[in-house]
Formats: sequence, structure tokens, C-alpha cells
Amino acid sequence: MDDEEERERSLRGFNINDNVDLLVEILSRLDGRSLGVAACVCRLWTTVCRRDTVWEALCDRHVAGGAGGPGTRSVVAALGGYRRLYRLCVGPALDRLGRSGWTGTEADRAHVSLSLSLSLSLFSIDCYERLGGRERPASLLFLCKPVNVS
Amino acid sequence: MKREHQDSGCGGSGFPTKTAAEMGKMVEEEEGVDELLAALGYKVRSSDMADVAQKLEQLEMAMAMGNSTSNTAVDDATFISHLASDTVHYNPSDLNTWLESMLSELNGPPPPLPSSTTSANNRFDSSAITTAGYDLKPIPAPSPSPIVYGSDPPNKRMRTSSSSSSSTSRVAETAGPPPAAPGAASMPVVVVDSQEAGIRLVHALMACAEAVQQENLKAADALVKQISVLAASQGGAMRKVAGYFAEALARRIYRVSPAPHSAVDSAFADLLHLHFYESCPYLKFAHFTANQAILEAFAGHRRVHVIDFGMKQGMQWPALLQALALRPGGPPSFHLTGIGPPQPDNTDALQQVGWNLAQLADSIHVDFHYRGFVAASLADLDPSMLLPSGSGDASDEPEAVAVNSVFELHPLLSRPAAIEKVLSTIRALRPKIVTLVEQEANHNSGSFVERFTEALHYYSTMFDSLEGGAGSSIPDSVNGESNPDQVMSEVYLGRQICNVVACDGPDRTERHETLVQWRGRMNRAGFEPVHLGSNAFKQASMLLALFAGGDGYRVEEKEGCLTLGWHTRALIATSAWRVAAA
Repeated sequence: MDDEEERERSLRGFNINDNVDLLVEILSRLDGRSLGVAACVCRLWTTVCRRDTVWEALCDRHVAGGAGGPGTRSVVAALGGYRRLYRLCVGPALDRLGRSGWTGTEADRAHVSLSLSLSLSLFSIDCYERLGGRERPASLLFLCKPVNVS
Repeated sequence: MKREHQDSGCGGSGFPTKTAAEMGKMVEEEEGVDELLAALGYKVRSSDMADVAQKLEQLEMAMAMGNSTSNTAVDDATFISHLASDTVHYNPSDLNTWLESMLSELNGPPPPLPSSTTSANNRFDSSAITTAGYDLKPIPAPSPSPIVYGSDPPNKRMRTSSSSSSSTSRVAETAGPPPAAPGAASMPVVVVDSQEAGIRLVHALMACAEAVQQENLKAADALVKQISVLAASQGGAMRKVAGYFAEALARRIYRVSPAPHSAVDSAFADLLHLHFYESCPYLKFAHFTANQAILEAFAGHRRVHVIDFGMKQGMQWPALLQALALRPGGPPSFHLTGIGPPQPDNTDALQQVGWNLAQLADSIHVDFHYRGFVAASLADLDPSMLLPSGSGDASDEPEAVAVNSVFELHPLLSRPAAIEKVLSTIRALRPKIVTLVEQEANHNSGSFVERFTEALHYYSTMFDSLEGGAGSSIPDSVNGESNPDQVMSEVYLGRQICNVVACDGPDRTERHETLVQWRGRMNRAGFEPVHLGSNAFKQASMLLALFAGGDGYRVEEKEGCLTLGWHTRALIATSAWRVAAA
């Protein structure tokens, strides 16, 4: 009897939701779209996916030069956080760069990767617009794919 | 016959200019002969003008019949040889009888028609009609047939609508099969393809500019009306550009100056500027490259001061604040002096902008100080106003000064000595760096026609880039006008066009000059260039790659300055300067 219970328990396996640190580690390795999907799984996962550290790790991987050090972290937090940075700036920019099928030479490709400084510059302009009370900050709209609502 | 066609063909390209030039010369060869056409070698009696015009139209339509489906070259030789062998040649300079013979010939067997000769005749045609247009009596209603421009069904007009009798303008359906009727009784309806109309449009614009330069306002007026008609047959950027240029020409002809500045006007101008900022990369490019130069110049300084000659909404500065906050060694103490025009409605826009920037700076922990200056013109500024008062300043930290001007220096060229005063003021501030962004075009020297031509090319390219940029990713629902940003940007550029074409003297503030010209000015004023580094170039290229339709934009480096252009045409240029070592 005891052996069977023992075996059952081990067969039931390991519940990820019991180990939030591990969950964070795993989710940190996802890409933006998958993180969005993961955020819909359950309340715990939503909470984890809203953590800025996860998005910081994401930005770190995709932005040339990484996500910067602690100094950068405080600035990004002040401007609105890594999640917002990804959503408004890094994500659409990566989509745009990926989709555009850059036809330049390899050397060109090397410096057409998104840099942190450019993303932060654009992000800061967006933050400034919101401060100015614009209901619809539009400086980053050029990055988004326009939606055909006809 | 062949020679005649070729002659009018060769003359066709330069024709509008020649026509306009001829108009000034009053050559009377024979009694009752129209002097304008006589100057070109065609004898037409003034009383016959309406008749001749009608026949020319009929001839053109008959010739274009075979051309309605495509404009690819149909065999030139076939047409020519057909006419050469079968036609009895009357004296072509006697237009009336020549046309009679052509029409009776052509209304028989339908010949294949080469587009080159057709267009040659068209060019002659349009100019002749145009110059003679205002001399025509109104054409009686039943006889003329409607002419349709193919590409735009809702916009149909009579080409001879310069005589504005409403009975002569009729709306017609697009071409059906032409009836093979003898004589000129019922005429086929013809579809003229829009590429030809495009060429004619450009020629009409040039002819109108020539006419305006020679003060031949009647001809110019007729041409402006024709331009509007032709523009309606085009699509996209060309139509919009032509529309704005036509409006500007009309303003110049009728001496209607734009309304004086009001509160609504300056708020509207700000709004347009903002939309222009959002919809295309030019202003962002300007800001990013200038910021990069300023950032590099400020390296190592603990106290920095930026003087912005055109504060507007201060969209340039959040990025610089952020970059300074993150620079190795920590942010400096940042002072910003913003200069703006007086606001008619007493709102302190400058202060509001400063307040917003201060909030941003505060959130990222940058020590920020702001001063706003209202000045009607930059020439009113004095160095003493701009430099900090030394007494209140306990710190003996030397301040690094940067002067930033984005599209703000060219209006100074409208008044004598203003630019020299401003440049010497800048020099007196002993700046570490001066960043200058200006349009890369010469809209300031030469005659009116030269300015007009240059502006036409420049703004056509600008409008193309708007069309190809923001507009390309949006499904073309209503001719690309579904994008409000793009429309606002076009209005913004339209106001510049109006200023370049319709205004003169101190009113004409859009006095753009090329990078080479500005380089000369800056060198003479005692500045030496600072090369914008590869960082600026890389950042600019990256920025452009992010814009939809970004393949058309080109960033180029010219002797240390960066230019942004559309395909091969550079449109704006950023350069950096410092005071030359004595």
C-alpha cells in the first residue's frame, strides 16, 4: 500500500506552481508573444508575467548591448518599466525589423539591430507625451502595424 | 509630314517655355492673324480660332482612339507611312485647311497610333489651346464633345472650360467604341491615360510659373485652371503636390496673401508640426542626430546648457535627458533655455513645456533648470540675455553650451543682416557645439522660375515619401487619405509651398538653402565643422529601418554632415559646428 501511494505521488509529478522561482526562470526565457499567452493561464502565472524582471530579461536578450545595468533599471522604471518598454517599443520594433526583410549586406545587418539607446530614446518621448497630458501618445505609433477597421 | 510631327515633338518638351516666351512678343504678321500662333509659324485667323481649336481636339481624339488601352509604343513607322502614302499634304502652317484634310483622312480607316506623336501633338495642343483659350468665344453647346480623363471617373471636365459657360461642361461616361462617322458631326469619346496627363501637368505648372515671372497674368490664370483640371486626373502624391502648387500660384496671381497670424493659426501650426513629427522620420532624424552630437560634445562636463532656438513642444529633449541620465559618470546639471515666438492668446506655452520636461527630468533624477524666452525674431536676442547671470552662481564649474537650431535659421534670411547678427550672437556665447538642421534645397536664390522648379522637385519628393512611408502599410481605402497624420503633414508642407511660391520680400520666410550654402555661411561667420560620428549614423539608420516603407529613406554622410533623403534626393541635412580656433 505504502509503495503504491509512493509511486502514485511520484507519477503525479512535479507541480510547477509550487515552485515560483523555477517558474520565473522558465518564463524569463520566453519571447514576448509567448509571455502574453502564458499570462492567460492562471492567476499565478499572470502575476509572474507582470514582473518587470521577466520583461527585463526579454529585453536583455533582444536588444543589442543588453538591457543595461542597475542605473538603466532605475531609469526604465521611472519611464514606465520594462514591460511597457517591450510592449510599446522593443516588441513592435523587432516585429518591424524582422518583417522588413532587410536586404542590406551582412555588415548592414549588424548595425540594424535595435539598440538600447534608441529604444530608450523613443520610450522617453512616449513618457514625455503622457506627462504632457496627451490622451493618445502618438510618437510611437509609427512602429505599430496599422489595423484595418473598415 | 513626318518632319512636321517630329518638329512639334522636339519642340514639345521645351514648348511651354517657348510659348510663354513668345507670348511676350507681340508679333503681327498679317492682319487678323493670331499673333501668338504666328510667332510659332502657324497662320490662323483670329476669327477662325474657335473652329481651329475644335478641329484640333477632334484630330487629337481621333488619333488617340487607337491608344486608349495602352501607352506602350505602337509602331511609329506604320502610322507615319500610312499618312505619308495616303494623305494629300496641305500647307501645315495654314492650320485650318491642314486640319480639314487630316480629319477627313483619319475619320476613314482607323490607324494604329504611336504614343510619341500623340503626346507631341498633345503638348502642342494643350499649349495652343491654353494660350488661345482666353481669346475664344464660348463654344456653343451642341457641337463639342466631352473629353474624359481616364483614371478618375468622378472628376470629369471640359478641357476648354476656361470659357466658363456651364452649358459646355458635360459629364460623360468613359469611352465606348467610336462611331465611324464622316466629317465632324459626332465625335468619339476618348480615354486619355494619366501618364500623359502627368507630363502635361508638369509642363502646365512650368508654363504657369514662366507666365507669372513675366507678369502675363491672363495666361497664368488660364494655366492655373488647366492645372487644376489635369491634377484631378492624377492620383496620389502628384495630385496633392499639383493642388498645393496650383493654389500657391493662384494666390500669387490674385495677390491674395495668407491671412495674418491669429491665435487659432499658431495653435493650428503647432498641431500640424506635431503631426508632421509623428508621421514621418524627418524631425525625429533631426532630433536624434543633433542629440547625438550634443551628447558627445558634453562628455565629461558636469554642467551643461542647451539653448534651443525653436522650442515648440520640446520633443527633442526627453531623449537627451534620458541619454544624459544613463551616461557613464552620471548625469550633469542640465540647463535648458527655450526660445519661442510670442503667443497671441497669452498662454504661456513655453512655461508649460518646461514644466513637463522638469517632471520627466525629476523622475529620472537629472538636475534640471529651465528658462523660457519669448522673442518675435531670433535677431532680437542678445548674448547677455542667454548666458547665465554669473553672480547668482556659486559654482565655478565651467558650463558647456550647446546651441540647437532645427529649421529656425532660414527664416532669418528674409531680412537683411539678421542672419549675421544671430550668428555673431551664437559666436559670443562660445558654444561647445552648434547643431544646425535645415532643408536641403535652394529655395532662395535665382529667379522665380528657378525657385519654382526647385520647389516642385523638392516637395514632390517629400510628398512621395509621405505616400510611400506611413501610407504604404495602410490599406488604400480612400486614396490613402484615411491616415490623418499624413493629411496633416501634407497641409504642413502645403503651407511651406504657399510661402515659397506666393510670398515675397519679408513675408517669404521659407528661404531654404543647401548644406553647401550653409557651410559657406558658417565658415564666414567663424565656425568650423564638427564631424558627426558613426554613432549618429548608426542610430539614424536604425531609426529609419523602423519606419514602415523605410526602404525609400536614405541616410548619407557628406563630409561629416548627415542627410536624410528619399531615394536619391536628400531632403534634410544635419550639421554640427564649433567656434573656429582664432
